Amino acid sequence: MSNDILVITEHMDGKFSDVSFEMVGKARELASALGGQAVAVVIGSGVDANVFASDSTLHIDDAALSGFNPEAYAKIVEALVKEKSPKAVLFGWTVTGMDVAAWLSAKTGAPCAAYAKDIRVDGGGFVVSCQVYGGKLMAEVAPEGDMAVIACLAGSFPVEAGQGSTAATATASPVDAGSLKVKFVEAIKPAGGDVDITAQAKLVSIGRGIGGKENVELAEELAQALGATVSASRPVVDAGWLPRTRQVGKSGLKVKPKLYLMLGISGAPEHLEGMKSAELIIAINTDKKAPIFNVAHYGATADLFEVAEAMLELL
Amino acid sequence: MLTPVEKIIFILAAIASVGFTFHGFKTIIDSIRKGRPAPELKNIPGSLLKAGIAVLFQQTIFKARKLLSAIHMGLFFGLITYAFVNLTDALEGLIPGFDLVYGGKHLPYENVPTGLINTFNLIADVMSGFLLIAITVFFVRRFITKDKALTFRDNVLLNPKVKAGGQNRDSLVVDVFVVMHVGARLMSQAFRLTEGADPFMPIASFLNGIFGASEVGVHVAWWISLGWVMFIIPYLSRSKHTHFFMSPVNLGLAKQNPRGQLDPAVPLKMIEGTRFDPGAKHVHDLAWTRVLDAYACVQCNRCQDVCPANFYQRPLSPSALEVNKRYLLKEATFGGHPEKLELPLTETVISPEAVWSCTTCYACVRVCPVGNEPMADIVDIRRRMLVDGYEIDSGVQNALQSLATNGNWMSKGKRLRGKWAKEMEFPVKDATAEPVDHLWFVGDTASFDERVIPITKMVARIFNAAGLDFGILYKEESNAGNDVRRVGEEGLFEQLVEQNMAAFGKSQFQRIVTTDPHSFNTLKNEYPQFGSEWEVKHYTVTLLRLIEEGKLTIKNKLSNYKVTFHDPCYLGRYNGGFTAPRKLLELCGVEFVEMPRNCENSFCCGAGGGQIWMGKVAPGERPAENRIKEALTTFGEGAGDKTQLFIVTCPKDMIMYSDAVKTTGNEGKIEVRDIVQLIAEAVGVEEPKVAEPVAA
Amino acid sequence: MNIVVAIKHIPSIADDLPVSGKNVDFDSVDFVLNEWDEHSIEQAVLIKEAVGGTVTVVGVDLIGELDNVLHLALAKGADKVVKITADDPAADSHMQAKWLAEAIKGMGANMVFAGVQASNDLDGQIGPMIAAYLDMPYIGGVSSVEANGDSATVNKEFAGGAGAKYSVSMPFVAGVQAAPKPPRYAPVSKVRQMAQTATIETVSPSGDASAGLAFKNMAPPVATGHAEMIEGSSKEVAAKIVELLKSKGLA
Repeated sequence: MSNDILVITEHMDGKFSDVSFEMVGKARELASALGGQAVAVVIGSGVDANVFASDSTLHIDDAALSGFNPEAYAKIVEALVKEKSPKAVLFGWTVTGMDVAAWLSAKTGAPCAAYAKDIRVDGGGFVVSCQVYGGKLMAEVAPEGDMAVIACLAGSFPVEAGQGSTAATATASPVDAGSLKVKFVEAIKPAGGDVDITAQAKLVSIGRGIGGKENVELAEELAQALGATVSASRPVVDAGWLPRTRQVGKSGLKVKPKLYLMLGISGAPEHLEGMKSAELIIAINTDKKAPIFNVAHYGATADLFEVAEAMLELL
Repeated sequence: MLTPVEKIIFILAAIASVGFTFHGFKTIIDSIRKGRPAPELKNIPGSLLKAGIAVLFQQTIFKARKLLSAIHMGLFFGLITYAFVNLTDALEGLIPGFDLVYGGKHLPYENVPTGLINTFNLIADVMSGFLLIAITVFFVRRFITKDKALTFRDNVLLNPKVKAGGQNRDSLVVDVFVVMHVGARLMSQAFRLTEGADPFMPIASFLNGIFGASEVGVHVAWWISLGWVMFIIPYLSRSKHTHFFMSPVNLGLAKQNPRGQLDPAVPLKMIEGTRFDPGAKHVHDLAWTRVLDAYACVQCNRCQDVCPANFYQRPLSPSALEVNKRYLLKEATFGGHPEKLELPLTETVISPEAVWSCTTCYACVRVCPVGNEPMADIVDIRRRMLVDGYEIDSGVQNALQSLATNGNWMSKGKRLRGKWAKEMEFPVKDATAEPVDHLWFVGDTASFDERVIPITKMVARIFNAAGLDFGILYKEESNAGNDVRRVGEEGLFEQLVEQNMAAFGKSQFQRIVTTDPHSFNTLKNEYPQFGSEWEVKHYTVTLLRLIEEGKLTIKNKLSNYKVTFHDPCYLGRYNGGFTAPRKLLELCGVEFVEMPRNCENSFCCGAGGGQIWMGKVAPGERPAENRIKEALTTFGEGAGDKTQLFIVTCPKDMIMYSDAVKTTGNEGKIEVRDIVQLIAEAVGVEEPKVAEPVAA
Repeated sequence: MNIVVAIKHIPSIADDLPVSGKNVDFDSVDFVLNEWDEHSIEQAVLIKEAVGGTVTVVGVDLIGELDNVLHLALAKGADKVVKITADDPAADSHMQAKWLAEAIKGMGANMVFAGVQASNDLDGQIGPMIAAYLDMPYIGGVSSVEANGDSATVNKEFAGGAGAKYSVSMPFVAGVQAAPKPPRYAPVSKVRQMAQTATIETVSPSGDASAGLAFKNMAPPVATGHAEMIEGSSKEVAAKIVELLKSKGLA
């Protein structure tokens, strides 16, 4: 039993995601309050692990783990937890972290707090603020017991606080890759030919409010008139109205355009993760209570079709 | 007159003709009988008689195309006359000495009714002239000036034979028949005038003056005239001119239920051992009365003229649906390809896109002179497509899913339905909690749409000001299901009806008032089949009554407005609610002008039948845009200092037309208002003033 | 192929969510099927249609209204439905996952699908927990599953069209992000027919697990900032936006 905080970092194509640094920074703050250590855990090969401002960094370096493997990650973290008995294990509430956090919680019996926006130390334990119900409610919960699993929404903490150069200690994987039931076969690259929305200066982004595939055309027209590209929130892509390559958000892409014009996106936390650092955010939504208005720079409660058509006339 | 050999030939030919005719009509009747049971028809002899009278006076065709209808009338009377003419001609041929010229003076009988015969001769002679003129007009219209009203849009699905000109061939055959038959008949009479002109046969006498009399000529002309008849009658049973015989029958067997009551998705009258799937996939899944429709249709395209989807360049033509139906049936029967009946209607009769373009405005059914219901076929086809898992428009799917879960199509939570009422400056009763006199059925658009809520609130204020004891169902109200049913989702419709009936059951009220014509229609015409016994009123009627009873007083005459009024399909054409809104406008003291397309002939805004749920797919001028232009043309130039208003009485219209005013760039020239906004101004009910922030 | 789909009945976020004490006021909300579960049901039915097999949908009945959802699942192509009667609207993911795992245990599932997440997964999603309780591997963010014999080819999504292909030996649990095709529409007549004819197998909750979270507070988020709202008609809004964009050189 220690007061250490383990941070399960995540990386792709040799680069760590922002949330990894964010969590390391937060872990340092929490660990120092508890008198423990912030331990960054890097799983996988082909990545420079000496980039965190952690108290220590553990690099489970195994060539068999070059691609993300949820089963391997889960077992490695389970073994680490057994070995280190940390006070908390931090995951990103991301496409990869989500595969392991709740599993670890159920496996070890440690409580799990997901959708975490903030964590603070309170009387030797933690109080976690979680953004649930599509951002409509904030829950403050205190995990009980010796260890907490906390899955953090990306963008909740500053990135800089976690950046550093702590030298990583490499160890071998405690898990026999051959025994795994999940096997990484190959990476799937985004379908070629489509535009890269992360490289666009202007995006017209559409959400569920667009209503149907037939209406995407209107957004395309508006985008064209603005010299922008059309992007979308998850439901639009899940419905097959636009390709995956256009999806902004947690399970999509992170974008930082000069203009992010949002039509009919209410602003679920998953979406906000992908776009909140855009320079100018303008949101049009019929629901005046839509959470997006807490994030956008300019907003209007209006019918998106009417506004789009009126804008087209003016452009 | 005829030689014995000629007589034998004639009798044999007549037997053959009767035989082919009998076969033709038996084939048709057999194929009609394969249709599903239709809703029960009451007093069939009575309705057939009524239809007969309507046909005799040609009442039903004058709903559109007045001039052409008059010519059709000439043709009709001509052909009726010729039925008798042909009979006497046959007798002339068969009975020696039977000769009606000169008042029948050559007849070998005593006491010949000369006056009667002369009258008959005169009518026959003059009608021959009319017939020739009428057929020439129709011929010129189809083949020379090529009236576009007789053609279909390129995107409309057509049977290949129709595309190849099958209809024109039919028309040409009949045109030639009429010309030959009538011409020959006139000549046969002219050749009989051995003693010079007969004053009761002016045309024949004129021809006699040119060609003289001739015994051989009589024979030749007689054979041409009656020979054509013997050919044409069986031919008609195989052409679109089954219309001659089937249209009066079809009119007599036309829909008897209220216009606003759709036929059930499966026949109520079950045939033992038959399990029906809902709606129609194949032609014989249609009710037999609607299989008959195909044979009654002569493809005049009056329905296509009034179809808003066709106007909007969608691939829908109600008449193409009927013509394709008949060609399909013809190929399956006379053409010897019964396997074609196994092809789905969506491949043979109407394209899926056309099926989903219909606004269910009822204009096609209303205008049809022969009582056809193409719209009902379309709804039946939608029903089966939905059950068969056809991939529907994503907007419609979203709407239906939301309706199934939330009871509204706007993906709003049930509890938000009464939110507007809670924002009012006075309490709006919850009818499920306390008894009320009027249950106000608000509807989805009026409850949720931010653009319409101010109007909804104004209706509440007026009701309140008039002291009307009313309440709403709050979260217990579900969409009434009118459009859900017309989109073809019969199961969801039934679910919504049950939910609403349960809510009604929980509440105490005397009558229902609605602001939405769509809800009004189904509540009034369809809910009784599910046990509703309440009187249902549209708010225009309620408002008028409140004024007439002195509960509301017109204080301000609104002479500063020049207005026109749009009849919503589901209030007007479906339910005849024409007078109350006009009365209200009169009471308000506005200057009222009527658009050319009004009342029964009102033009749909394009939103009904689920269209409002679909994406804005089609390019081109939308029906609502066309309607706004119609209003502006009606207003003409220079209303002076009056404000021009387009008055609506339907929440969907409010949205459609406000939008159309903007997209046609007519903001400032014309303004869309709900009738209640005028009433409010006239009776002096205002929105409460928002408290001004107190200066610091 | 024996596919089990574990579903979650959750408070609808289409309404405002009232709070009572330190949790949602469950009496004042409508419960709906988690939207990702629609995708996992679709994915299961697609596999059944491709290679045959049975689809069993199982969920915890929190408020006595799960039948509608299960009938819907049957109408969409599920073969069997099971409800665990809990009658506790506040049952957390851990409890539900435990009960679901116990119910699934004897079903001989080759694959278990769950929605990748739900908006009320405060204590994590049920998918990975079921995997942990049943000692099966878990893979989430799944966008397609193809069954081939004893294993399946599973595509997992990372971001923006990037992802990875995995080969997973059965049995396993997958958290479905999106089915390869949008979830189909089930006509209500079919749903109602199911309601009349189908039987729902009912089981009692078995096993015990807890989120281990003490609730301190629950409230709508305090807005840290708010957009500058542009007022007026749609046309005015459009004009102001265009003006704003022009002033910033963005239009």
